[in-house]
Amino acid sequence: MKKFMTFYFVLAILFCLQIVFGTDISAAVDSASGAEGGVMHGLVALWDFTGFANVTLGNMAMIAVGLFFIFLAVKYDYEPLLLIPIGVGILIGNIPFLPGYKIGVYEEGSVMNYLYFGVKQGIYPPLIFLGIGAMTDFSSLISNPKLMILGAAAQVGIFATFLGASALGFSPEEAGAIGIIGGADGPTAIFLSSKLAPQLMGAIAIAAYSYMALVPVIQPPIMRLLIPKKERAIKMKPPRAVSKTEKILFPLIGLLLTCFISPSALPLLGMLFFGNLLKESGVTERLADTARNSMINIVTILLGLTVGASTQADVFLTLASIKIFGLGALSFMVATAGGLLFARFLNVFLKKDNKINPLIGAAGVSAVPDSARVVQNEGLKTDPNNHLLMHAMAPNVSGVIGSAVAAGIMLSFLL
Amino acid sequence: MNLLTVTNQTWTITLLGWVIVFAALLFLVGVFLLVPKVFTWSAKRRLKTKGKTQVTDDQLAISGETNAAIATALHLYFSEMHDEESAVITIKEVRRRYSPWNSKLYGMNNSSYYKLRS
Repeated sequence: MKKFMTFYFVLAILFCLQIVFGTDISAAVDSASGAEGGVMHGLVALWDFTGFANVTLGNMAMIAVGLFFIFLAVKYDYEPLLLIPIGVGILIGNIPFLPGYKIGVYEEGSVMNYLYFGVKQGIYPPLIFLGIGAMTDFSSLISNPKLMILGAAAQVGIFATFLGASALGFSPEEAGAIGIIGGADGPTAIFLSSKLAPQLMGAIAIAAYSYMALVPVIQPPIMRLLIPKKERAIKMKPPRAVSKTEKILFPLIGLLLTCFISPSALPLLGMLFFGNLLKESGVTERLADTARNSMINIVTILLGLTVGASTQADVFLTLASIKIFGLGALSFMVATAGGLLFARFLNVFLKKDNKINPLIGAAGVSAVPDSARVVQNEGLKTDPNNHLLMHAMAPNVSGVIGSAVAAGIMLSFLL
Repeated sequence: MNLLTVTNQTWTITLLGWVIVFAALLFLVGVFLLVPKVFTWSAKRRLKTKGKTQVTDDQLAISGETNAAIATALHLYFSEMHDEESAVITIKEVRRRYSPWNSKLYGMNNSSYYKLRS
């Protein structure tokens, strides 16, 4: 134990010397001679391999960010299934190392690089969509199809951010990839950025997932600001019962219709509707069960970890990342406001007994099911007997479809 | 940020893109407003061919409450895990097998007999 302590003590002194005096230790060792020099050479070689020798301020900052993500997930339960893998990924990605030894996520042939392949080539997001499809119940959407338009209205966030990013000097491809943060859909954001702007993918994915985790913080003030209390108290009619045939028809019609309009979104929408058909057909329960449990869990672990690891300080800590974070926050706000205002606008054309509660417009951003949960909580704050969760799920899942269609459109325009 | 520097292509993608998203979802809305109507129409037609001339929408639609009641009844029925029993109560005499190990005869000491003789 004493030997170990002595060894680490020597290492610590070397580290401090390097920082404080800017001493070049290798040069100091070169001047030494004999057995003493041999030992020192060995120590320095070891030292050069350690993280202490290669650490930068950026690494430390990113490690702090990773720890903060883990803290948010554990302490406040903010999207723990995403923030824990991403947080640990950030730690893994920012442990400093000597380049050239197939360690880092960006080094060809490293284990992390192989895992990252699924992100780089856009393989993981469609698999996540398969799982989402297998766990999503579209009944509320089918029973009240007009709520689907709210999902389209909230996509204004994507296009407004695209415009904003272009105005800030990003190239059209980069602006398109940044804009998709407004879709509030992590897999879609990763899928699109892997195709349009791979160099920004880490920042975009982290921004998208961070703001998705912060939906309970971002949305309520905008809701209270834009929707008067009287309208927040509107009670909606209970949704009608949906037949099994309708549930089976929905993924089929949805797949054909949306993919004919936007074929570039095929990997996402195809998998989403396929997963939903597995669930609703009633004859493939085993496959649906695997898709919504084991498979999505495995892919979430790999996706979260590798996206986190892709935030290596030298690649991630740039001015562009700061701009992306700013634009991401803006896009979430614009998307929420777009959904809310369109819901109010829609009410102008609806009969008095058929009006919708404008709060559900906020669920049009596709952060499933967080934004629907936020709508439910806000509805309960206004009227403890007003349960909006089922109604909010309709724009919520249509937001998923809408953001995937928007991603397809961006791809077809910009690729 | 200066929106004047944004190119025409960007404006086109922004406006056209949003319109296409709207159009795609509006198509879906249209289709799914139509689907229940088609189902109702085909159900009415089927009933009419079977001789029911007066069919109202209320007869075709089953409310959520009714569905919930039926589902609960079925669930309770199918999850009833008891075996079917005869419902005849009988009291049968319990027959004990003879065993010398618990025989009272072997457990008795005939001490009084020896006492009398002495």
